[in-house]
Amino acid sequence: MNIPFQPKGGDPVPGALRGFARLYSDLVALREDPDYLVARQRAEGRVVGLVSGGGSGHEPLHAGFLGRGMLDAVAPGKIFSSPHNRQILEASREAAGEQGVVHIVKNYTGDRINFGIAAERLRHDGVEVRRVLVDDDLATESDDTATGRRGTGATVVVEKLLGAAADEGRGIDELAELGARFAAASRSLAVASRAHTTWASGEPGFALAGGELEYGVGIHGERAATTIERPPTEDLVTRMLDEIVAGLPAGPDDVLVVVNGMGGTTLLELYALYDRVAGELDGRGLRVVGSLAGTLVPALDMAGFSLTLTRVEPGWRAWWDAPVVTPAYPNGATR
Amino acid sequence: MTSVPDQEALLRGFAAAAEAAYGELTALDRHSGDGDYGDNLRHGTRQALAVYDARGGAPVAVLGEAFLDEVGGTSGPLLGLLFTEIAHALEDGPDGWASGAEAGLAAIQRVGEARIGDRTMIDALTPAVEALRAGGPAPFAAAAAAARDGAAGTAALRARMGRASYVGDRVKGEPDPGAVGVALLFWSLARAADEDAEPPLDSVK
Repeated sequence: MNIPFQPKGGDPVPGALRGFARLYSDLVALREDPDYLVARQRAEGRVVGLVSGGGSGHEPLHAGFLGRGMLDAVAPGKIFSSPHNRQILEASREAAGEQGVVHIVKNYTGDRINFGIAAERLRHDGVEVRRVLVDDDLATESDDTATGRRGTGATVVVEKLLGAAADEGRGIDELAELGARFAAASRSLAVASRAHTTWASGEPGFALAGGELEYGVGIHGERAATTIERPPTEDLVTRMLDEIVAGLPAGPDDVLVVVNGMGGTTLLELYALYDRVAGELDGRGLRVVGSLAGTLVPALDMAGFSLTLTRVEPGWRAWWDAPVVTPAYPNGATR
Repeated sequence: MTSVPDQEALLRGFAAAAEAAYGELTALDRHSGDGDYGDNLRHGTRQALAVYDARGGAPVAVLGEAFLDEVGGTSGPLLGLLFTEIAHALEDGPDGWASGAEAGLAAIQRVGEARIGDRTMIDALTPAVEALRAGGPAPFAAAAAAARDGAAGTAALRARMGRASYVGDRVKGEPDPGAVGVALLFWSLARAADEDAEPPLDSVK
């Protein structure tokens, strides 16, 4: 049992938003009722606002990526719950550029519907809206359901690349098309050796024995379709990369790599995992042209990691390398 | 000469139906979802009534704003889109019910991406809109009957969208609460138009 540090009443989100806004008061501002955060700075040439959002529990996503070179506004929901359409609506109204807003939405039914309702309302107001849907999680690739692949680690990649493209003053349709291409070129897979902690009880969200691994786990405590006997880490990386590389659509051999911690995994582990991943990719004829390792899209304190690969088209690299000014994007990853 | 529904009677009637059906809707949603549908519907109508009694306005527009702004989850705000589209259409004249409901159905499908047969509110709303479009001597009663039948038919369906899709065949046997909510709305609408209709739930009789 491990009760998280939380205020009376148990909802940590409002306090976390206020704390975040205090910490980064030169970069972001918090608006309340409905709650959303906006970036204080944006590139002068930007004509389209970039708005994202989703459930809380995935910090630093999305608020940590507010600022110059990335997002203009974010709508945070409760833990693992979609934001309300009114949060998205007001965030979009404030962030809209002269050509409107692009919504970056992770593929979950609630997020799709709430962003969609906000988009309907914005259009009634005369604000142009386009959507970029992030759906990179190979574990949820199936022809049986209409829901499609979940959106996970590739969200950071899409937000980074699209932010740099938006800073160049590109128009709303071009950004929507580019964002769709960034998402389509990305695939991820996640594993967990220990579930996240359920806040109310302090107990793990699901039970996993010592020698077991949840293979294909989600970022909201959804169990994976399969629980496997835990293989040696080297073999695990090989297996995951086999699946991700096979799942990537055809394209250039240049790739971006994200080794993402799920919240309860140390940087020491993530750096070592990255070393293994990079070495393996060299051996597969793929050229790593950009990479991130860190806790970027976690599921509260789950122990585990995800790997994301994005095939990089000519011209995208400059967007990956472009500097940003945000609370949490790793500055060492830009040039 | 077809009847014209009274907007305030719709608001008050639908609010009363949401109160009366609260228990039944909650039980239905426990069967297939997370059990908050009755709460959400009642919260939306209570909010709308409070706003309307405090400062008036066009009742259907007030319903739209309440369901869009004040109700959590997804079913309530989607219903808000329907009210908003009807309210827009009614600004052009009292014949806007059918065209507004049709625009609302289109908006809900754009956003929710559900089709007929997916075990959602669409299964009640689609036949209701078709009945309204068809007209006839008592179009609102016909729409109420169509919505009622559509909602009842969801009991045989497996969910493809939303939380109910995670539990597979286990949802079968009982109707989808979102579809029943739409049937309650069209039943309230028929009554507001002084047309006779059979209620979709025993609790509101």
